[in-house]
Amino acid sequence: MLFHTWTFLIFFPIVFLGYLALKKTPLRIPWLLAASYVFYGWWNPYYLLLIVYSTALDYYVVAWMETCGPPGSKPSPDHGWGDLFSFKLPHASLNAAAWVGRLGLFGSVLLWFVGPLGSRAVCFLSGILCLTIMFAAARRSRKAWLWASMLNNLSLLFYFKYADFFIENANQLFTRMGMSMQWPEAATLMPFGWEYLLPVGISFYTFQSMSYTIDYYLGNLAREKNFLRFATYVAFFPQLVAGPIERASSLLPQFEAAPKIRLKDLSDGASLFLIGLFKKLALANYLSFYVERVYGMPDEYSGAALALATIAFAWQIYFDFSGYTDMARGIALMMGYKLMLNFNRPYLATSLGDFWSRWHISLSTWFRDYVYIPLGGNRNGPVKAYLYLGITFLLSAIWHGAAWTFIVWGVLHALGTMITRELERKEWYHERVPIAVKRFLVFGFVTFAWIFFRAETMQDAWLIVTRIVSSAWSDPAMPALMLGLIALIWVYQWLQESNLRPWTETAWFKVAGSVFMLIWLCFFSSSGGAFIYFQF
Amino acid sequence: MTTETKPSTTLSDSRRRMRGHLPHAFLLTPWQWCTVVILFLCVVFGLPKGCKSWETFEPEVNYRVPYEASQDYWQYERHLDDRNESDTIYFVGDSVVWGEYVSPDGTWSAFLNEQSGGKPQFVNQALNGLYPLALEGLITHYAEGLSGRKVMLHCNLLWMSSPQADLSQAKEQVFNHPTLVPQFRPRIPSYHADIDTRLGRAIGHRWSFLGWVRHLQIQYWDQKDPYAWTLADDGKYPPSYPNTYRMPWSELDFTLLSEPNPDPERGVDSKRHSPWSTDGIGTQRFDWVELKDSLQWAAFQRLCKLLQQRNNQFIIILGPFNKHIMAPENRTRFESIESGVKQWFVSTNIPFVATELLDSALYGDASHPLTEGYRNLAVELWNDPNFTDWLSQ
Repeated sequence: MLFHTWTFLIFFPIVFLGYLALKKTPLRIPWLLAASYVFYGWWNPYYLLLIVYSTALDYYVVAWMETCGPPGSKPSPDHGWGDLFSFKLPHASLNAAAWVGRLGLFGSVLLWFVGPLGSRAVCFLSGILCLTIMFAAARRSRKAWLWASMLNNLSLLFYFKYADFFIENANQLFTRMGMSMQWPEAATLMPFGWEYLLPVGISFYTFQSMSYTIDYYLGNLAREKNFLRFATYVAFFPQLVAGPIERASSLLPQFEAAPKIRLKDLSDGASLFLIGLFKKLALANYLSFYVERVYGMPDEYSGAALALATIAFAWQIYFDFSGYTDMARGIALMMGYKLMLNFNRPYLATSLGDFWSRWHISLSTWFRDYVYIPLGGNRNGPVKAYLYLGITFLLSAIWHGAAWTFIVWGVLHALGTMITRELERKEWYHERVPIAVKRFLVFGFVTFAWIFFRAETMQDAWLIVTRIVSSAWSDPAMPALMLGLIALIWVYQWLQESNLRPWTETAWFKVAGSVFMLIWLCFFSSSGGAFIYFQF
Repeated sequence: MTTETKPSTTLSDSRRRMRGHLPHAFLLTPWQWCTVVILFLCVVFGLPKGCKSWETFEPEVNYRVPYEASQDYWQYERHLDDRNESDTIYFVGDSVVWGEYVSPDGTWSAFLNEQSGGKPQFVNQALNGLYPLALEGLITHYAEGLSGRKVMLHCNLLWMSSPQADLSQAKEQVFNHPTLVPQFRPRIPSYHADIDTRLGRAIGHRWSFLGWVRHLQIQYWDQKDPYAWTLADDGKYPPSYPNTYRMPWSELDFTLLSEPNPDPERGVDSKRHSPWSTDGIGTQRFDWVELKDSLQWAAFQRLCKLLQQRNNQFIIILGPFNKHIMAPENRTRFESIESGVKQWFVSTNIPFVATELLDSALYGDASHPLTEGYRNLAVELWNDPNFTDWLSQ
């Protein structure tokens, strides 16, 4: 279900009224969970199996992790492979886990050999799950359970998101090496003939669920004992499919007691929703038409059209994604829940580091806290810091999708971040280069990198880059209205970070602006598809 | 990625200069929201009303909603409201009433006006592309103004001539006026729109402002939303984009769409205005749908009941279906259906006139007469005692 659809317009009031009625009863959380599952299952009810799996996995992994002592406790050296088939593990739940692992592994192996080809993916994934559970139960260590969670969550993500990319590249490699071996396509491994589709938002809820396990492992939060509450945290519908990726330490406590909904929450929530709706329907969708036209056939367009389409895409993806998170935050706020800020005028950043502190903040902080800092951060000198930075950006690029274009995009950002970080350390750059120039440079670089993010293939991306710099610039046929809107948006964003900001916060400006947005939406909103970030 | 683990000299100038960290200036207070809602409602109710005075709409005697504006239901409603003299008779129906092959002065209602001595009594209140399922929606949602008025309702059996025409086959079909058909109940097997589209269409009927917005799109922006209009190409290859540097509002000259004069598609001088037999198609077999199974007939029955509920004084005009086009062995089935339709009118006390079969050369296809055919039909109707009785009531 999409926020900007009539279906949601019917769905949300029903959920909201039901929520108000049940707010002070024990049914509040089950109601929210049911609403979230209906919201998610609307696309495809089979997707629910995956989210329930991911939820149950992390819930039980943390429960089993709890039996292994407090954070920092080391496993006894006599716990190891020898206990894999032990019948006398010291804790009843560990014994249960071990038995689940053993029986599951047996079933998986059996099905692999006697079942149809379509059951192999399930056999493989359940085999990994059972093996890791058996091993972690035998080891009785927090770290083993953490690995069990990560391995299984990432296996699922890998199969649905990266398997095709991996298999395609592997098969190409086999051919080049003169080997006749070819791996079957991932789609042929789906059970029951189900369609091989990327489940909407799988990267978001997998990361959200994993953050709970990692935080528990690090001792940053207590175990959530109520399964329904934990499931609601993973599946909370406002932010389920495109973030913000909320941390358990921030959202779970909000589910403990009925939140107080103030009139201000309702008005602020409605304001955020309106802004998000405007960004999506009035801006992002409009820009997308031009971008699709030009990027669909890059060899037929001049350098001017390609350059303008790239700038248009920079704004399209910003409005599309930040519009979604504005709506998500607005909906959650109306129900009394506060979600984190995810975008903060990123195109006014003065360095790449600054850009990433303003763009998709929930993801960039996730990678910072769970990848960059655990790797060593900037504690081991600049060379290692840049190495970790590169790894972090590479993982972030892969998170966005399985394609070489995303990897190039990530590498470009890693290089850009290193360069601007070094430049910021130079006094002449830091003090003398005007902010406007820095902003222009950062925007130019980010926009250039978007070419790789948006292009269908590396060949297309390279073609676009070469045509921008080498082909004759002719009439780009970008509507004047579109150009005007982009210019207005830019001016507005600059106003927001200037001394004139208070002027944009006057009551008459806000009221006039909101009426304008509503009327504009009625006239100009164009029909458009899903949000760009649903594919991640 | 945010890669700084602690604030350092790399803290950006822009962040130091930021006035707080609020991302939006548009967070309204409850009172401001109230103001916004009031202002928005003023616009929603005020603009369509204002539009009626800004747009020049002075329909001629035999005006019909132009073909290009067939989906402009707001305009249809407006036409209805503008012709509200007490003795006006509204002729409601599909393209047979509208006049598929004829010019506005060659339609059935135009010749009826001629029969009445030139008094503009009969109004062509049909739309091109309608059929009973859509007509029901049109009258339900956009013809409140018809309540209590005198109405001639045309019944065209063509819509029961096959499961395809009846929209009762399971295969998805693209058809005219999808917004007017029942969106949820009764279920139409040929209609496969997703639930969101159906909801949007159902809501659109109940919010006339959206109908007015659609009116502007149809009348001024080539049936597109303003964004799509700025991006539209000329359909050639390589394409050019005629509206790229034009602003949508510059098109709002408040001059409504009108029928082309002369119309290359319609009227006695057009190529299409020729007897059906000249196409060389020959006779056809029809896979008639039984009345009890027909969605279109059920919709027509519901429409009759709606008119009764709205205290309309109405008469059904049945036909003229082109029996000449029908294969001889196919006629018995048609006659049984026609007989069933008549029986239902009798059983429900709905007055009706069954038109006589015209000469073969006066039909353009299976159901649309040509200009002379309409003239004959008007004369026949004018002299029909049932019709004159009904007229004099």
